[in-house]
Amino acid sequence: MGTRTLVCGAGDLYDELVARLRARGHLVETLGLSSLAARTTAETAVDTAAAALGAVDLLVHVLESPGQPIPLVDLSTDDWVAVCEDPMVGALHLLQACRPHLGPGSRVVHVVPTSAMGGAPGFAATATAAEGIRALNKSAARQWGTDGITTAVVAAAPELLIGPAASSSGGALYGPALGRTGGAEDLAGIIDALASPDAAFTSGSTIVADGGTWMAP
Amino acid sequence: MSKDLDAGLLGGRVALITGGAAGIGLGIATAMAREGAAVVLAARRIENGEPAAEALRDAGHRALCVRCDVTSRIDLESAVAATIDGFGHLDCFVHNAVGGSVAPGPIEGMDDGWPGLLATTVRASFDAAQVAHPHLAAAGGSFLLLTSAAGMEGSASLPAYAMVKASQRALAKSLSREWGPAGIRVNCIAPVARTPAMDRAYRANPDLEERLLERTPLRRIGDPTDDIGPVAVFLTSDLARFVTGQTIVADGGGFLGL
Repeated sequence: MGTRTLVCGAGDLYDELVARLRARGHLVETLGLSSLAARTTAETAVDTAAAALGAVDLLVHVLESPGQPIPLVDLSTDDWVAVCEDPMVGALHLLQACRPHLGPGSRVVHVVPTSAMGGAPGFAATATAAEGIRALNKSAARQWGTDGITTAVVAAAPELLIGPAASSSGGALYGPALGRTGGAEDLAGIIDALASPDAAFTSGSTIVADGGTWMAP
Repeated sequence: MSKDLDAGLLGGRVALITGGAAGIGLGIATAMAREGAAVVLAARRIENGEPAAEALRDAGHRALCVRCDVTSRIDLESAVAATIDGFGHLDCFVHNAVGGSVAPGPIEGMDDGWPGLLATTVRASFDAAQVAHPHLAAAGGSFLLLTSAAGMEGSASLPAYAMVKASQRALAKSLSREWGPAGIRVNCIAPVARTPAMDRAYRANPDLEERLLERTPLRRIGDPTDDIGPVAVFLTSDLARFVTGQTIVADGGGFLGL
């Protein structure tokens, strides 16, 4: 039986990631971001998806936030809420809703841009949300580890999750060591590996999957 | 003889500190005032902040208190306006205030204190940045956010706190890169200090102090004025003029993961 996988997100990378995970044999149910606005709607949606799967072996939440750079001083409060606060609240609701469906061997993966760790001029709201979600992932690892639930963050190139305009936002002196920033298949392979029992002794860690750009710490 | 307003590491500077009535905020304000800064204590309750400002004035410092609920952008605007009215300019904005419940608990139970935490930390940082920016740009000043090691290592007991404190670090890094060309520096302090909030945490979690001391090489909890305050003085002074986007962990060495 394939890994029973619940994937949440919206956008091009998310769509492709779902397809790649299915191609790798995962049984995938998907969840739109709109259901995360309230805890109750998240619970309803997750319960339905989990019932279809039977259980959740792997939860993947993709923080995809396409946009153009806007200096923070020019950002409206509504945009700040939409790009920063709503995704943080949504990430919380998703974890809360999924917790009853996670058990020993389950893995929670958040996919965020590396700008969570490096900041991003013009995309401060996305970076702020992403780093908050990265901390939530670590806290979940600490709280749920004794129940056999593990977590991880996959940090991808900002171009993949934000768009081409974010290509120079990472502040890296060098481009990717592998010569490319990667794509959904690269991320799917790492996520697939994280779902394996062979990877079960890593939890709360961030796997930087950007072709060797960030390389920190 | 009049006091030399330019004396000290922060002579002639003006700093606004949210949550300035007590704890780490007051410790930072006191340390900055001792180094010559005029300080504005932004306090949610004027009855708490005004005596603290008065004590600073009695000690020969320039200080005033403004009422400011950081969840209100209007209050933040008023606090900055009062700073300009009182002292003419704004060189340092220190966002220290944090509200909402930080009671230990599981992620599944985060709903109760979460909105208050989000409002006082994440939203207030956004609002404070926008409100303070023109003045900091004019002064070539600095923006300082109080964060926590919990945001870097996650927290088994305070997941909501860890989340918002982590997010503030990414905001600081982003702003350091947006504002650096204008000469504004943006940094963070991750402190551990004996404060009224810490005392409440000790009461709720009796073995917390022992566990904290055990992991702290310096074997003591920091003092807001004498241990945390000088870090803020450094970061907002010219000594740190080439430092931006950074977090200084001031916790006696407890967190070494940065």
